[in-house]
Amino acid sequence: MQKTTQLDSLTFAEMLHQGAVQLGRDKKVVNDLNVFPIPDGDTGDNMLMTLRAGCASLPASNPSLRGTKQSRQTLFEVASAASSGMLLGARGNSGVILSRIFAGLAKGLKDMVEADAKTFAKAMQSAVDEAYKSVPVPVEGTIITVLREGAAGADANGDLNHYFETLLEAMQTSLDHTPELLPVLKDAGVVDSGGAGLLSIFRGMNDALNGNISDEEIAPTTASTPTVELDKFTENSTLEFGYCTEFLLRLMRSKVDLGAFDEKVVFDYLNRVGESVVAFREGTIIKVHVHTFTPGAILNEMQKYGEFLTLKIENMALQHHQSTNQNNASFKVPPKKYGVVTVASGEGLINAFREIGADEVIAGGQTMNPSTQDFLDAFAKINAQHILVFPNNNNIKMAADQAAELYKGADIHVLPSATIGEGYYGIGSIDRDNANVEEVITSVTEIMQSVVTGMVSTAIRDAEGDQVSVRKGDYVGYSGKQLLSDSLNRVEAAKVLVERLGAASRDVMLIFFGEQVPKNEAESIVADLQTQYKNLEIMLNNGQQPIYDYIFVLC
Amino acid sequence: MLTFFSDTDCDITPKECAAYNIKLISMPYTVGEQVVYPYIDFDEFDSHKFYDMLRAGTMPTTSAMSEEAYTQYFEPEFAAGNDILYVHFSSGTSNTFNIMHQALEKLKAKYPERKFYEVDTLGISALCYNIVLEVADLLKAGKTAKEIVEWAKVEVPKFPMYFFADDLKFFRRSGRVSGLAATMGGFIGIRPIIHLNDEGKMVSIGKETGRAKAIARLVQYVEDLGEDVKAHRVVIGHSDCPDIAAEAERQLKEKFGQDLNVITTVVNPTIGSHCGPNAIGICFHAKHRMQG
Repeated sequence: MQKTTQLDSLTFAEMLHQGAVQLGRDKKVVNDLNVFPIPDGDTGDNMLMTLRAGCASLPASNPSLRGTKQSRQTLFEVASAASSGMLLGARGNSGVILSRIFAGLAKGLKDMVEADAKTFAKAMQSAVDEAYKSVPVPVEGTIITVLREGAAGADANGDLNHYFETLLEAMQTSLDHTPELLPVLKDAGVVDSGGAGLLSIFRGMNDALNGNISDEEIAPTTASTPTVELDKFTENSTLEFGYCTEFLLRLMRSKVDLGAFDEKVVFDYLNRVGESVVAFREGTIIKVHVHTFTPGAILNEMQKYGEFLTLKIENMALQHHQSTNQNNASFKVPPKKYGVVTVASGEGLINAFREIGADEVIAGGQTMNPSTQDFLDAFAKINAQHILVFPNNNNIKMAADQAAELYKGADIHVLPSATIGEGYYGIGSIDRDNANVEEVITSVTEIMQSVVTGMVSTAIRDAEGDQVSVRKGDYVGYSGKQLLSDSLNRVEAAKVLVERLGAASRDVMLIFFGEQVPKNEAESIVADLQTQYKNLEIMLNNGQQPIYDYIFVLC
Repeated sequence: MLTFFSDTDCDITPKECAAYNIKLISMPYTVGEQVVYPYIDFDEFDSHKFYDMLRAGTMPTTSAMSEEAYTQYFEPEFAAGNDILYVHFSSGTSNTFNIMHQALEKLKAKYPERKFYEVDTLGISALCYNIVLEVADLLKAGKTAKEIVEWAKVEVPKFPMYFFADDLKFFRRSGRVSGLAATMGGFIGIRPIIHLNDEGKMVSIGKETGRAKAIARLVQYVEDLGEDVKAHRVVIGHSDCPDIAAEAERQLKEKFGQDLNVITTVVNPTIGSHCGPNAIGICFHAKHRMQG
């Protein structure tokens, strides 16, 4: 393999080109990472368009000129040309930041004919500084973090090949770490898209440095042949995401005192009225990317200072990107710490479990026990280190245990939740920030033990309990194997059950009412019980579950 | 002359401002695309309507004020030869005060003779309200701004506030409370108890199961930490849950006597955007704020 100790302008041009080629290959993967929190076009496409614009403005780079007198362009000239091309071509948040990275790099290579690893490393630091300056509030866990940590971890004590090799390693480590820094990434189970795009570019650059230059054209961007899905914003839509607004503003001598003008005025204004602001000034041009609900107001304000060179405003509802489940090994998403599987039936109850943090809710329960395979299927859908399983029924626990033994994709922990109430409370009290799984399980188990669950259902045969005697067709209230109330009146059965569950000494009661129960009946029970138990906090949920007219969970 | 400023994050209303001769700085919040300035864009705060909107799923955001806006509030006073005393909400919860100080730097150059006195309540809502009224009392009693600033150094740390909220998603989104466990406790009636520490930052200091226990714990703090409680106001702030506030008041008066000076305020919409509906806090005079 060739070793490069001095980076010249031709090699750098080739590296930029190969960086764009590599990003073209990876752009779909990068786009697909960009699913949260708010859709903002396609990161991969935006970065690619930016880099393409940079490559297109390079002075004719003809490899056959290598080593000849004609290759007189300096490294600085090439870097500057790329940088100004990107300034004009930058699109999207990450595209703008990318253009700043290369502007910083060019700045760091000022007047350089060539650069060794140490010089290039210094220029990378200048790129880091410039990138951080371009965002008003630097958010860690994004492209700027990957750049910064990459630059910090790279070893410049050697040739450029060694520098790039260590740079890529450090960038990859940093990228893998982004979900730890940015909760939205962790929640969505992805790494940062801009960081992934940056890594892709530097991979391509590294390939070119090592002589692996493909003759591929840079891939076209989908954005250059836009397919606007107009149906995504209809006459009935509400403007949920606002407009992605980007422009280049030329500061006008007739409007401002160019020498004294402080662009901070513009930046402060944008930060106040908009979100996702990326803005910077280069000479008399100000480049802005901002999300806003009222682009008109911003444009009017900007015209106080200058005139527009370019302008692009897009309704972000139309930019909403359809995510696909394609995974690519190079950007494999790190697993989250905890996944949760539980079992319930009834649409309301299933939704309630999802809302409180269950990743998968297997339909089932008392009369429909899920199979081992059902559990295995549920596990396979979750990308987590540990999967906590809440069977919510003793008859279901064995199938869960068996699945836990068979499954190899994660550590499965089956918790002893015997009722819906225990499961609901247990899942709700998982501290997802606690990395110690044993502690989490201990605390969840303790909380489940402090919960008591009672159900009201219709008796399918006669039975004798310690406290009640049940006739077929009666409404019966019970907890575990204990029959606690019996009545021909459902409300009566429910109230007596609640009393015998010890409501007087409890703090919170959740109620899930079943599909047979009208909402007003449930609400009247709540009103009566609240009068009777003043200190009890009652939370009513429409569980829509079959079989159980009421599930009472007391804590 | 001295002009007394406070802001809408302190729960003080224009009516009260008129009574105490306070100028009010309106702290904005944003609903969807609309930036709302309390008591500029509306005359009376319809708290029930606002918090019902939050219950229905709206999550407003808040933003810092501009240098220009601060200048517009302060410059006319300086130009008229007045000094300013500003009692404001915690600098530990917003960067708006950095911007304010930038504005003041420039004004200072322009009006070198003028003085700006600042009392950082290291609090929000009912806590600030309590201190604003304390300061109003002191001014009425003839204290100078300088004396009030000295008073605040000793007394601000003696006004704690303990609070909780029903729905934790507002605190979580806001990201301004440290120490919250990453659970879904709101769904199962578990309420973190939060306070404002000596840096004016919100910290979770424990949790209670059920609203009744949570209220009892707030009242317990007044008993345990209180100092000269009856010589000062006890301010209960709530975000559209008057029943819970009334229960807290009942328990406080049961413990301290019916003549306890309890004032109930409604949490302003800007702070309400961070705590959500059904939050309640109690501010009182204490030996000190809890550590941590």
